[in-house]
Amino acid sequence: MRRSERLLATIRVLGSNRKFVIGFVLLLIVVIAGLLPPVLGIHFPEFGSAPSFRKPSAQFPLGTDGLGRDLLVVLLYSIQTSLYIGFLAGGFGTVLGLTVGLISGYRGGAVDDVLRSLIDIFLVIPLWPILILISASVKSLTIPLMAGLLAAFSWQGSARTIRAQALSLKEREFVSIAQLSGLRTLEIVFAEILPNMIPFVAAGFVMSVTGAILAEVSLEVIGLAPPKATSVGLMLYWAQQYSATVKGWWWWAIPPILVLILIFTSLYLIMTGFDEISNPRLRKL
Amino acid sequence: MLPVRYVMKRIATYLITLVAAFTVVFLISHLAPGDPIGAILTQMSLRGQQIPDGEKLVEAYRKMFGLEGNLFQQYVAYLSQVLRGNFGLSLAFFPTPVTQLITRALPWTIGLLTVTVIVSWILGNLIGALIGWFSESKINAIIAAISLVLSRIPYYVLAIVLILVFAVYIPILPSSGAMSMGAIPEFSLSFILNLLRHAALPALSIILASLGGWVIGMRSLMINIQGEDYILFAEAKGLKRSTIMMRYAARNALLPQVTGLALSLGYIVSGALLTEAVFAYPGLGNLYITALGLNDYNLIQGMTLLIIFTVLTANLIIDLLYPLLDPRIRYGEEK
Repeated sequence: MRRSERLLATIRVLGSNRKFVIGFVLLLIVVIAGLLPPVLGIHFPEFGSAPSFRKPSAQFPLGTDGLGRDLLVVLLYSIQTSLYIGFLAGGFGTVLGLTVGLISGYRGGAVDDVLRSLIDIFLVIPLWPILILISASVKSLTIPLMAGLLAAFSWQGSARTIRAQALSLKEREFVSIAQLSGLRTLEIVFAEILPNMIPFVAAGFVMSVTGAILAEVSLEVIGLAPPKATSVGLMLYWAQQYSATVKGWWWWAIPPILVLILIFTSLYLIMTGFDEISNPRLRKL
Repeated sequence: MLPVRYVMKRIATYLITLVAAFTVVFLISHLAPGDPIGAILTQMSLRGQQIPDGEKLVEAYRKMFGLEGNLFQQYVAYLSQVLRGNFGLSLAFFPTPVTQLITRALPWTIGLLTVTVIVSWILGNLIGALIGWFSESKINAIIAAISLVLSRIPYYVLAIVLILVFAVYIPILPSSGAMSMGAIPEFSLSFILNLLRHAALPALSIILASLGGWVIGMRSLMINIQGEDYILFAEAKGLKRSTIMMRYAARNALLPQVTGLALSLGYIVSGALLTEAVFAYPGLGNLYITALGLNDYNLIQGMTLLIIFTVLTANLIIDLLYPLLDPRIRYGEEK
């Protein structure tokens, strides 16, 4: 098959999976919402560009915050930041998880022992306290720094999946042939084994993104966020700081919450879709 | 009888993991740019506040964490202090030892966490076993869908929603703290009720947030197990369906769930701490917020070390109990 045909075939398989399609459309809606304000030319609201502490109205559908900003626009910009950090960290995390998983599964022996213990340690230790410790250690938190930080703690899930796959794939005949024909280890791992586990890599990527956003928001909720941007978790922090929840100002807390639920549900559906495609036995569950 | 080799191997892994995790914490605090103590001292003197024992504080810190010598010497000094449970002195509440602050908060966290983790695990597995066994029923499909959504909602989100519902719109439960203002701790029914009322919403958040995952996991295990030969055999023998469900299917499906509990403990503890922070429940989660607000680096580091230690130890205990549940590990020994 040629490349374009293969791409078409892949799209057809993905398109026939209902969970994947629903998840993808939901995620697309969130992404478009995040891109809307810059596309429409709406700038991030300045302090005092609107009256403060307003309830939702026709002019301000989600009300305004204590600094006089339209909460709807703040939310849309926050979606952008949160998704950006999540996908950046998830991307780094996947590359890391892929590398560790492939090497660990293919090499076996002492290398595998060390790497597997490393994966296990990262799977088991509680991340939130460690992330707080690191955030408290660095002087100023920037967006790339935060993404890197989250990536360092969102690779272990995909590493475990990829390692298991590499373990089973390396016993196959095509790998033996590659070994016999004198290919180098790195060539076998990246040119022979890797292309055979694309669905798992994709699922691992979604898993890493989910983990990264989850960890990101869990830091922002307590105010540990890059100071220059707003994000969905930070909006929940403000809602807490202004006691908005206790005062019953639902428009401060519920919209970011719905966005988060939408993000996590769509990512979960996409991941289940990938799983079902690579493992047809799961489809009946 | 516990299989000796399994136990030895597991304890060795535990010790290695513990030292590795503590090493990571050491590296974080030592490789991060800037010296937290120095930074705080400068910050305070800029604001014109004098720390009464500033000199002594730096001295104590240096001694405690052995900031003299090269990185390796520092590391050895640090490990020997930390493994003895010495986490240094608090910066914000100088010269109170960090351990003392943690000890005050710890009972709240342990109480809340143990009860909620056990309740949600047992309840989740029961529900999951039932809806997995009778998976054809429409109602059960709905319960499964609800559990799925529930399992995707982070702890803090659920906490905020519960505050809105049960403390604001239907104001029946308090939204923060562990007891009413000015309540005097005593052994009386009214005080215990007071405690329980304040623990209700934090506990409910943690239980609900972790429940969904157990339900979903148990459900798919039960569905998978239904096709197994030994279930067919039990049916052919004419055993009651409820007996087959509890003693044949659920009992076997439970094993991966025990491993699951060990694996997700870190995630649950993180979520529970954050929930405490949202509810200003006076446990470790809330102490983190205080420590962050006051820039108390030592306190943050001490709590982090303690939590890592607790989670890893709980993990070890679950793993050591595992052979009692799964005889295959014991028999594997004899080969």
